[in-house]
Amino acid sequence: MSGVDKSSSSPAENPSLLTGRNWFERLLIRLIASHTPKCREVVRLLSQSMDVKLPITTRIKLRFHYLMCAWCQRYEKHLRALRKVSSALPEHVDDCCSETLPDSSKEGLKQALRERKPE
Amino acid sequence: MNVSGTGVTDAARQSSSSINPDGWVDEHGDFLYRYALMRVRRPELAEDLVQETLFAAVRTYTAFRGISSERSWLCGILKNKICDHFRKLAHEVSFTDLEFLQDEMSHKFIDQGWNHDLGPAEWKPEAEAALDRKEFWETFRSCLDKLPQRVADVFMLREMEEMDAGQICEALRISQNNLWVMLHRARMALRECLELNWFERKSRMNTKSDERRR
Repeated sequence: MSGVDKSSSSPAENPSLLTGRNWFERLLIRLIASHTPKCREVVRLLSQSMDVKLPITTRIKLRFHYLMCAWCQRYEKHLRALRKVSSALPEHVDDCCSETLPDSSKEGLKQALRERKPE
Repeated sequence: MNVSGTGVTDAARQSSSSINPDGWVDEHGDFLYRYALMRVRRPELAEDLVQETLFAAVRTYTAFRGISSERSWLCGILKNKICDHFRKLAHEVSFTDLEFLQDEMSHKFIDQGWNHDLGPAEWKPEAEAALDRKEFWETFRSCLDKLPQRVADVFMLREMEEMDAGQICEALRISQNNLWVMLHRARMALRECLELNWFERKSRMNTKSDERRR
């Protein structure tokens, strides 16, 4: 990313977005920045969007925010990847855990199960 | 009769005689135990959950149609037992983790925009490519272990047992706002942990440690 050295405070002044742009593009970015939530708020909303459907106006604001902020867009992508990974964890539990059910418990279980009948 | 009857006989044989709890213990016992242990952390509790799961499996075996694999069927039952466990636990302990609710990621933002050196990096290769790697799951597990216990519980109920937000609030007796904050913090911390420990970003890591020293 170019222009990272001049890190600045708000997305509107994000040098990687504003350097080399003409006055009109800069105006557009400032306009978007002033009408969409700040990144800190965006990441909070993105997490929320994984649990409930956000209002349409909020979703539109997020889309506009992405026009000027690649980080938040990437953050959303990562949240989706995280969900995929987490939901796959149960089937990969043998890859990350090595504990075993003690043999005595297994025998006890089998014994108890033999006395049970399907309904 | 012979031709059309074969299917019926097979189905009848399947439902009555192929029930094999001994086989479940041998083939899936460790798997169920590992999952349960990861979720409840105490061996005796995990064993109880495995036992409850298998008892329920015997009881409901006639309803199992073999559409999913035996393992995912048993895993589904265990997930329900885990949800019940936390529902009961919520009567005894509070799931509102106030300590973790304090903002820990302030350094990532400057005046509410991303601090440029610490913004999310491109994940290459993508997460999907890592799912077959044993080391990846070990890394993910250690990231989960770093979360405060209650926050990890809530996150896993949402993403592994796949309870929806309303069900979790009701089961754990927490407010929706509280749930969102906990999930947000959990996701933020896990994303960060995976990025640092799995997806290579050595140069960024150096920048980060400089940042901390400042």
